[in-house]
Amino acid sequence: MGLAACGSSEGKEGGTLTGSYASFPDFLDPGLSYTAEGWTAMYDTYTPLLTYRHASGTAGSEVIPGLAKSMPKITDGGKTYTLFLRKGLKYSDGTPIKASDFPFAVERMFKLNSSGTPFYSTIVGAEKFIETKQGPISGIKANDKTGEIRIELEKPRGTFENELGLMFVAPVPKDTPIKNTTADPPPASGPYEIVKVDPGRSWSYARNPEWAKTDGKLMPEIPSGHVNKIEISVIRNDATQVHELESGKTDWMQAAPPPDLYQGVKSKYEGTQFRVEPTVSTYYFWMNMKKPPFNDLKVREAVNYALNTEAMERIYTGQLTATHQILPPAMPGYKKFDLYPYNMAKAKQLIKEANPSDRNITVWGDSEPENGEATQYYQSVLTKLGFNAKLKEINADNYTSIIGSSSTPDLDTGWYDWFEDYPHPNDFFQPLLAGESIQATNNTNFSQTDIPRLNKRLAKLGEETLGPKQEGKYAEVDKEFMEEAPWVPYGTRTESTFVSSAIDLGKVIWNPTFEDDLTSFQFK
Amino acid sequence: MAKGSADRAAAGPWRLALRRLGHNRVALAFLALFVLIVVFVLAAPLWANDVAHTGPNETHTLEKINVNGEQRDVVDPSGKPIGPVWFGAGGKFFLGADSRLGRDEMVRLMYGGRTSLMISIAAALITTLLATVFGLLAAYYRGWVDPVISRSMDVLWAFPVLLIAIALGITLAVGGLQLGPIHISGGSLWIPILIIGVVSVPYMARPLRGEALSLREKEFVEAAIAQGAGAGRIMFGELLPNLWSTIIVFSTLNVANNLLLESALSFLGVGVQAPNASWGTMIATGQELITSAPLLTIIPGTMILLTVLSLNVFGDGLRDALDPRSKVRLEARAGVAEPEGTAV
Repeated sequence: MGLAACGSSEGKEGGTLTGSYASFPDFLDPGLSYTAEGWTAMYDTYTPLLTYRHASGTAGSEVIPGLAKSMPKITDGGKTYTLFLRKGLKYSDGTPIKASDFPFAVERMFKLNSSGTPFYSTIVGAEKFIETKQGPISGIKANDKTGEIRIELEKPRGTFENELGLMFVAPVPKDTPIKNTTADPPPASGPYEIVKVDPGRSWSYARNPEWAKTDGKLMPEIPSGHVNKIEISVIRNDATQVHELESGKTDWMQAAPPPDLYQGVKSKYEGTQFRVEPTVSTYYFWMNMKKPPFNDLKVREAVNYALNTEAMERIYTGQLTATHQILPPAMPGYKKFDLYPYNMAKAKQLIKEANPSDRNITVWGDSEPENGEATQYYQSVLTKLGFNAKLKEINADNYTSIIGSSSTPDLDTGWYDWFEDYPHPNDFFQPLLAGESIQATNNTNFSQTDIPRLNKRLAKLGEETLGPKQEGKYAEVDKEFMEEAPWVPYGTRTESTFVSSAIDLGKVIWNPTFEDDLTSFQFK
Repeated sequence: MAKGSADRAAAGPWRLALRRLGHNRVALAFLALFVLIVVFVLAAPLWANDVAHTGPNETHTLEKINVNGEQRDVVDPSGKPIGPVWFGAGGKFFLGADSRLGRDEMVRLMYGGRTSLMISIAAALITTLLATVFGLLAAYYRGWVDPVISRSMDVLWAFPVLLIAIALGITLAVGGLQLGPIHISGGSLWIPILIIGVVSVPYMARPLRGEALSLREKEFVEAAIAQGAGAGRIMFGELLPNLWSTIIVFSTLNVANNLLLESALSFLGVGVQAPNASWGTMIATGQELITSAPLLTIIPGTMILLTVLSLNVFGDGLRDALDPRSKVRLEARAGVAEPEGTAV
């Protein structure tokens, strides 16, 4: 059972929270963002029909009604979801929230080729809409008078309630442009609205005026927040973030302290201003299975044998626990195994047997400290295996969109991490390894994995409600994917909450999906 | 006439300049320092193969080394790299490890210096070539050619050099550069060489143009024109030889500027790309460990400082030797008597 934020009932209401990020989020657009940074930034701004309880631990993974009055009524063998919009809701600009805003948000997400597309492609008419970009989507019916929203699926989908709780399909006004709105985000439906954005540098929030008037009363399970304003700056130097926080210039840093300072911060502030937070995540290197040399299984197996995960633990200065499989510990369906224990001699033997003719490969990585070093280590491993591995390090702000675009040349192999969207193993398979997830832009199946028999297994399992039997099957799927070795998984990460002495650490909520909850920050 | 005076009258301008330089002990000392630095970086393969037994990009995260009989982690379990062991491990990790990747800092310092100097010198050559051509064209043709070239230089000069270089570096990092049939990949050293070489052109082109303009009015040029000499002969046969001293001085100083610019670009991640070493990338890597291992930042920073200082001081000495009138003008303003001798 997880804990909601606890602490003394005393504390100041109001004030301005100042925070820092190490990089600007991928998007400040609810239909597009698919990173932890973006979701943390928008969790308290855009409310979907369903949402996740504002709580830490497993309680924070519970799906609860958001803009919808209640949880959906599921009928027709799991293929029809019926919800009703709460009456009287308004966006932060005073525009009424209508039932028809939901199908608009779904269509907008598809038109933008969002990374969230695969989650909703089983809606009747969605595939045709994705292809033609011409609507409406026949499987979504919305009645603005009654507030009814009916969603029909092609086939049952065990994770659909979780996916209705993601911001991809948070209703937005119908005049929201069909383009990236990071510079001027849509009006809010949560306790805070984003009032100003300086792309790449900063953004700020104020209380959503409609929340205090009506929305907050209609959605009492969503907290209203304690502070009046929030100002976030991008400070790319992690050490500077720590120093600014210690000196009281900022109140919170979103990223963990840099490796050089981590142990010092932990020993000095743990329990008062610092807290280690568990995550359900996998850090890995993907290998493009459609291009030489990684279209050869022996080569992929060799790379798995060659990477020493113990070295990765040192690179992450104790913030990483080694793992060599797709599902992370704490994810339902996880069952520990290691098909490729470190063995450089075996790795070299496999390369000798495979004898790949194309040994020129490009290794992609982002520039954030430990991830950049992890990628350099990986590149040195590939060099030891006899490859001419060239490293391309990209600024973290742009990394995901660059490697997710099929127009980027030489996408051979590279770094990535994946944090759970919701506590269901399909979240680690479908967007990352299912054939249907491959997209020309905003792609997340970087390894271009498309194995028909495994696609079928995932599709079948995706229709079922998760129980012990399904968890056992997901454990088998984990192993079967690793037998194909599309990735070199290397660890699961801890994160941290680090606040200034002015903030009550005990009140800060760490949600498993959305991380630090801005509504929970309160000045002492 | 005294014997000494006759000797001075007979010596050519270059020999006179060499003699003046020879008397400038400070300039020679810094020249020696620069030569020492060049020898140091050129010795990189020797040190890497025969002393450290590792390359600049080889990682040693999990390895242990024997330091004065004691087994020590190159990178300890908390991620802290080993500090300088000097000759405690036979020369391995002389200056310690550079990061959690456990690369040999000394080897990277030497190879990094090679890269930094190579980029700086190559860029200076490009700058010199382009600046000389543009300066000569502008000064010789004047008319509409001079304003077009001069204003172009002004526009380029007005842009903040670092920002242009950063913007170009980011743009070219992913897809590289396509120049007709020639493709330069994003990680190639040619990218920072070309960027630095081009943005530095106004720095040299403007003074060269000014000097060429004044030379153009001299009698020897008029004589050459009267003899029917064409544009090429006048520019490269008459004007250029008289610009060599300026070119040499500016090129020397330009190498120093380029070194600073390359370090800044590499520090910002848009010059030399990881995992390759340059003094700039080493400072970037070191600054992540600035509190626990400050030497990782101080050492490459000191190398940059010494190299730039040696080039600047030697360059000043070279300018004084090649054009003592510039020193005379300064001394006259300060109220000091003019020395004997002629300028080159």
